[in-house]
Amino acid sequence: MTRHNRILLSCFYWGFVAYVFVPLILMVTMGFKDSKFIGFPIKSWTLDWYASVFADSETISAFGYSVAIAVLSTLISVVVGTWIAVLLEGRKFWGRAAIFGMTVLPALIPGIISAIAFRIYARYLGIEPGMGAIVWSHAVHNVPFVVLVVMARLSTLPKSQIEAARDLGADPLIAFLRITFPYLVPAIMGASIFCLLLSFDDFVRSFFLGGYEPTLPVLIFAKLKSGMSPEINAIATVALILTAVIGVWAERFTRRMNKDS
Amino acid sequence: MSYDASARQERGTVAAHASDRTFWGRLASWAPYRALVQVATASPRRQFVILAVFPILWVLTQHLGPMLQMLRVSLTDAYPVAANVEQHFTFDNYVRFFGDSIFWMPFFRTLIFAAAFTFCTLVLTYPVAYFLARHVSPKNRMLLLLLLLIPFWVGEIVRTYAIMILLGNTGAVNMVLRWFGLIDRPIPFMYTSFSMGVGIVYLTALYMLLPLYSALEKLPKSLNEAAADLGAGAWTRFRRVTLPLTLEGISSGCTLVFLISTGFYATPVLLGGPSTTVFAETIAGFFHVAGDEWPTGAAFAVIMFLAALAITAGFQRLMSALRKGDTK
Repeated sequence: MTRHNRILLSCFYWGFVAYVFVPLILMVTMGFKDSKFIGFPIKSWTLDWYASVFADSETISAFGYSVAIAVLSTLISVVVGTWIAVLLEGRKFWGRAAIFGMTVLPALIPGIISAIAFRIYARYLGIEPGMGAIVWSHAVHNVPFVVLVVMARLSTLPKSQIEAARDLGADPLIAFLRITFPYLVPAIMGASIFCLLLSFDDFVRSFFLGGYEPTLPVLIFAKLKSGMSPEINAIATVALILTAVIGVWAERFTRRMNKDS
Repeated sequence: MSYDASARQERGTVAAHASDRTFWGRLASWAPYRALVQVATASPRRQFVILAVFPILWVLTQHLGPMLQMLRVSLTDAYPVAANVEQHFTFDNYVRFFGDSIFWMPFFRTLIFAAAFTFCTLVLTYPVAYFLARHVSPKNRMLLLLLLLIPFWVGEIVRTYAIMILLGNTGAVNMVLRWFGLIDRPIPFMYTSFSMGVGIVYLTALYMLLPLYSALEKLPKSLNEAAADLGAGAWTRFRRVTLPLTLEGISSGCTLVFLISTGFYATPVLLGGPSTTVFAETIAGFFHVAGDEWPTGAAFAVIMFLAALAITAGFQRLMSALRKGDTK
């Protein structure tokens, strides 16, 4: 009985693996098709679509634009998120639960509603649609993830180390910078990479807060609306490889850091 | 004890001497810095205020602010306000929602779809999480989990496009079916609630899988063994032991997936058709056409958010009632 269950469950697992991998593999394969029409079967192969992607200045600049937005928004999220985490972790004060609730709020709001709210607020603050607005909305949206990751790490910091530093004459700021901060680095690195990917992959906020210049997901969306083409497959494949490689590397990196300390 | 204390003091002095030459030592003995620290840390209260002011202002203005502003705009008759127009308080935007089925049909469709897709995700990922947590050795577990995480690093649009290629008329599924001679002409999967479901489940599966996995992993194996010793069959063990003890994971996974599913915009646009318009598309319409109707769009977003919150809150209460009922 258990043996049967085991086999059945492992079939389920590998079926699920197929479900999450096969569409992506098909998409990558289609980028090498030597025909304008998306569809099977593929009779001849080509690399031309990749050549045209790397020659297309619109795609290249969308790529750079997305990367710049991801880096800037991540910097803001990490600084703000770490600050909030340090305030919230291990401290009891009036209103703490309310502040924590507000902190995680942006992560719980469904995508379209968050995009609309940011759009309205950006108008209220006088931020024009464009890079600044996108960076701001991504930064706010990603803060909760940084807070949660950093708080988890902070809760395992041995308090005795801080006390020792204070006994030896360090003021709170130096104790933070020399004891707490180095201890938080793995969490901050992990959270940053997560934020980078969230921002790079984000569509809905970039779509509603963007100006005329498209981010990479917005560009792919616009191209898709005017029809499928293997060129889109090539663009999507480049984006896919970049995000998957960074994601896997981050996973391994955080695991190693956690093991070391 | 006394030896320890004196040793620590000695080390302290040595460190202080050595630190004069380091960056930190110089910073700590730099007069303006010391004055600043002294002012800032004069009392624990002041220290706390300095630490707390920025985060509190941030969450109030950046996290709560946009939602409050959206609520405010939804209660006005004109926004953005033109130069010679006066802005009035009104409930008309909310009334408008109930007046026309073109508005509330997509709304209920969204909620029903989101609930159905959440259920599908749960049914699909529970066996996967169960297999990982119970039937795989801890050594391989991380590897097999990591394998599943890779596709989830890829963005929403790219994965939606991958589903389009899978399900299109000349897509892989139709090709395979035709290859085996099961069909003569392609089945139109695309632009239906089916293609939308496949896409949304694909996008949200991870948010269900991880809570389920961590709930199942925490479950001690001995409980199942004890139930088996007492004569419970596999199905009874699952129904009476495993399922009740993983309700918390199910509850948080479902809440997360439901909230995310209601918020998709690009996926329904690309994978859905005219008969599957979701509320996100309705809301977006108020912000994209030439005559922007922001207050109505804002009101609809508020309605949607409140409905989603109410449903998840009700669901969580139900789940916690179930949990309590089981422990009694």
